[in-house]
Amino acid sequence: MKNKLLYFLVLWLPFCGWAQPREMTANERASFQKSLQQLVEIKTISADFVQYKHLSFMKNPVESSGKLYLAHPDKLSWAYTAPFQYKMVFKDNKIYIDDQGKKQTIDMGNSKQFQKISALVSSSMRGGKYDEKEFAVAYLKQGKADMLRLTPKLAGAKKYIKEIVLLFSPTDKHVEEVKLVEPSDDYTRFVIKNRKVNATIDESIFNL
Amino acid sequence: MSRFLTCNFFLLFFFVSCGTYQYPNASGIRGSAPKELNNYYIDTAQTLVYRAKLDAFKKHINGSLLVKTLGRNEHRVALVSDFGQTLFDVSVLPDGYELHYAMHDLNRRMIVKEVVNIFRTMTEQRYATSAVMFANQQHYYPVYVVDNCYYVIKERRVERIQQIKGAKEHLTILYSEWSEEDMPTSIVAEHKKFPLTIALTLDVDQSTF
Repeated sequence: MKNKLLYFLVLWLPFCGWAQPREMTANERASFQKSLQQLVEIKTISADFVQYKHLSFMKNPVESSGKLYLAHPDKLSWAYTAPFQYKMVFKDNKIYIDDQGKKQTIDMGNSKQFQKISALVSSSMRGGKYDEKEFAVAYLKQGKADMLRLTPKLAGAKKYIKEIVLLFSPTDKHVEEVKLVEPSDDYTRFVIKNRKVNATIDESIFNL
Repeated sequence: MSRFLTCNFFLLFFFVSCGTYQYPNASGIRGSAPKELNNYYIDTAQTLVYRAKLDAFKKHINGSLLVKTLGRNEHRVALVSDFGQTLFDVSVLPDGYELHYAMHDLNRRMIVKEVVNIFRTMTEQRYATSAVMFANQQHYYPVYVVDNCYYVIKERRVERIQQIKGAKEHLTILYSEWSEEDMPTSIVAEHKKFPLTIALTLDVDQSTF
């Protein structure tokens, strides 16, 4: 009986697991870096996102969703619409928050963490350049999709983030998933959907 | 002379800090039949997701509080910010706690100890054998006493827990709304020593109970 179980596991386990990412070849990396160039041309993005928070002891992730708007060079609106309403606008070096009508403003000059979040989101969505002083960048392939794994080098960032994984769509080469892995190995996965590139975004989106 | 004054000062300090707490309008404490209290978090099949609004030291954080019952008075509790960053992840055990993760800025022994105390008081099932006596009993809801905690019962449910330390109120947990299954859907934990308040609203769709 034990042997049967062992055979079953050996035969079927490879088909059950997630496709393991592998390193890109030199050609794949050159082609991927070329595809990133098109993202640098992006002026605006609007999209829906779904956020999944995975904790080791939870059977199901905690889910929330919302809308994001990005206008190059420095405006970002990040709004949760379910299961709660909460909107943040990053612009003019400030964060404007609307928490179900309760509004507040935070000066980003006082919060390096928020500055980095804003810069990272903007940079990721536009496939931007990653500061190799701050991150070790690994170029990977998962199935047909391109993947970037950013591992913080600086001790300050390592306290909060173990790694950031960006998954690019195999079809249009845009970022379709961002995974933030914490030092505890719990992680948050953001899935980007219904992306619209370079469409006009009403200025009122960035006003709170 | 100076030794005499020092001794007197310490004796005065000792007696002041050992003052006893008097529950409002209470005339004393009586023995009661054993009473099970705070049975909200005893089912190991349940996983509860609360929307959390935390105000601490003039800072406001929104997020989620996740509560998983592991066994009798064993709970895994995690506080996560809206962006998904884990702030605390701790197992509250009958005789201690196991810290799985605390965000770097919050990983201070005193902060962790106070947070564990809040989660423990909120989730712990207790047995009372004492209750508060009131001079005019018809006006007051039953109040049971276990160690340094007072449990106020309304409509057969724990509605409020008041924890006392050093003759002063240290922590209040207020359960104000319940689901049909008698799970608390609205809770406010207010720390009386530090400016710390956590308001929780049950996310029924993401909880299993």
